[in-house]
Amino acid sequence: MKIKNIALLLAATVIANLSYAATIRVVTTTQDTRSITELIGGNKVDVFAIATGYQNPHFVDPKPSYIIKLSSADMYVTLGLDLEAGWSPSLLTSSRNTKIQRGSDGYVDASVGVALLQVPSSINRAEGDIHIFGNPHYWLDPENGKIIARNIATGLERVSPENKAYFEANLKTFNEQIDSRIKAWSAAMAPFKGTKIIAYHNEWVYFETRFGLHIVDFMEPKPGIPPTPSQLVKIIKEVKENNIKIIITSPYFSTASSDVVSKQTGVKTLTMATSVGAFDSVKNYYDLFDYDIKMITAALK
Amino acid sequence: MNIKHILLFILLFAAVTVQAQSKKQTKAQIDSAKADSIMLQKIQAEMSQPETPAAPQARAAASANPDISVIGDFRGLYRSYGKHNFDAVLNEAEFSFQSVIDPYARADFFYSVEEDPKTGKFSGEVEEGYLTTLALPYNLQLKAGRFKQSLGRINLVHPHALPFIDMPDVYVNFFGEEGLKGDGFSASWLLPNPAFFQELTFEATAVDPESPLFERSDANNFLYLAHLRNFWDLSANSTIEFGFTGVTGENIFGNRSNIGALDFTYKWKPVQFNTYKQFTFQNEFYYSHAHQVGNNIVNALGFYSMIYTQVGKRTFLAGRYDYSNSPFSNTFVQQSGSLTLGWEATEFQKIEIEAKYTTMNQPMAQYNNEQNFSSAFLRWIFVIGSHGAHRY
Repeated sequence: MKIKNIALLLAATVIANLSYAATIRVVTTTQDTRSITELIGGNKVDVFAIATGYQNPHFVDPKPSYIIKLSSADMYVTLGLDLEAGWSPSLLTSSRNTKIQRGSDGYVDASVGVALLQVPSSINRAEGDIHIFGNPHYWLDPENGKIIARNIATGLERVSPENKAYFEANLKTFNEQIDSRIKAWSAAMAPFKGTKIIAYHNEWVYFETRFGLHIVDFMEPKPGIPPTPSQLVKIIKEVKENNIKIIITSPYFSTASSDVVSKQTGVKTLTMATSVGAFDSVKNYYDLFDYDIKMITAALK
Repeated sequence: MNIKHILLFILLFAAVTVQAQSKKQTKAQIDSAKADSIMLQKIQAEMSQPETPAAPQARAAASANPDISVIGDFRGLYRSYGKHNFDAVLNEAEFSFQSVIDPYARADFFYSVEEDPKTGKFSGEVEEGYLTTLALPYNLQLKAGRFKQSLGRINLVHPHALPFIDMPDVYVNFFGEEGLKGDGFSASWLLPNPAFFQELTFEATAVDPESPLFERSDANNFLYLAHLRNFWDLSANSTIEFGFTGVTGENIFGNRSNIGALDFTYKWKPVQFNTYKQFTFQNEFYYSHAHQVGNNIVNALGFYSMIYTQVGKRTFLAGRYDYSNSPFSNTFVQQSGSLTLGWEATEFQKIEIEAKYTTMNQPMAQYNNEQNFSSAFLRWIFVIGSHGAHRY
């Protein structure tokens, strides 16, 4: 009896280990690509995301503990451009994992094929934190979510070609979901087309373009430069002149400066979700837009 | 015949145009009730078209060159002894070139030009120039070239990235202002420990001849180093790191010196507001066992303990206590306390001021034979180009 139990336990362990070995281990730089990888990879993937959803993706500390995850990963998904330039390359080098280095089958740049906005014609840091390839916050347009999903599916198919049909089926479902949801999101936002708003940091251009908002100014005088008193005076004037109702910001920025503007003008500060996991209710990529659109429409009504 | 055709054509065109216009008017009148929904559709159609996107291929061009940057380190210095006790120097201009070589390796070069405050003349050297493999099996990585060695915590960090201006006394007395560096090989192994990060490094080098302790040997006596780095996440916001280092090599007396080092760092940095708040408690202990002339053995030690905290969005404060023997005299004791206030304009520019008080139990010629003295430093760091990330 005992021997039987031990044998069963051993068999179960072996099976569990085999099934884990068959699972594709994916490390993503952010929670949004984690969510999309899970939606495409389904039960074939085990995904770990480095940045949390309430963290500024520009400033992630390259902790050595992430190297452990990267060293055993089969696939690495980066948002690319220069968004993670401050931390992703050093982690990749330290991982000693050939499967996920740039150019390897397991390296996925989610930005490939995305039509970028705000591509600078010249690079001048006097303009603040300028991104040389264009604004990197492209996942905030759900249409771009489909391109990200395509890139991730292609990566998964390179790593695990035997599951191609499975990934393609999930990709199709994802695209259908996005298409039908975009209709609903756009309809919800349609009454507010052209509505003027203020944003804290220049990270909403894709969302703004997709859903027809009009960001007239930023709390930061230049990208990456904290709000100055003269900028606050300018914002207060703009809010009053344009009858602006909301300032949108992200969980990782202090609201101290927008609170000052609120006191002076009555404008509302909305802390929006810039990524999956920004708030407990934002569990996946669809929730991200559900949450933000609900916030904005409720505030603008 | 021709005129007839032309007239017919004109009549036909006029009729079609009139009919189209009247249709438009009628349609507009009939569909007036549906105008809102048409407008809605138009808005939706407009919104589904992204605004003047850039061609995706435009981004490939910028990545052909290595990442190049220049870091300026301008300093103002004051000390409470000597006739000439103020100085202003471009302490260092560091030129870095970093890139992946091929699928198997990457290269990092740092060329440093330093100014001698006495003469105002500059001298340049390859501070570091090494290759790092990317494709070795079994979690191994090899480094070859000239590099800063895996000793403790601060030795691997370039001075401009440290939160204080002058280096700790024990570090200067044992290894020199530039720290421990040499030419050779470094092999590191990421231990297969899923619970926490462990990295074991072995290095064999011909040491930098500027080292005050070790000698670049005339014989085949290289410097050997072993370093074990251990790192835990205590929580999402706090981490702890322990490191052990052992070094052995030929000292300036032509005999052997052994160094044992221990480093301990606690960091707290809230993930959500990591650009606003942080706290670090960092310590390094060094123990030296030196065989001198006539096999006379001297055991000496030294350490520093530092607290570093962010006091504002762009303001930082670091306090440090130093204790140090000389590696060849444990009767010599040097102690100091320092406070550094830093202001970071952006990731590419910071200004720091440091005040330091030093006391020694024996006079030293290099400090004008003063046993107690004060010093103050101003440092302005400025970076152009794409300087990469620093080690955590």
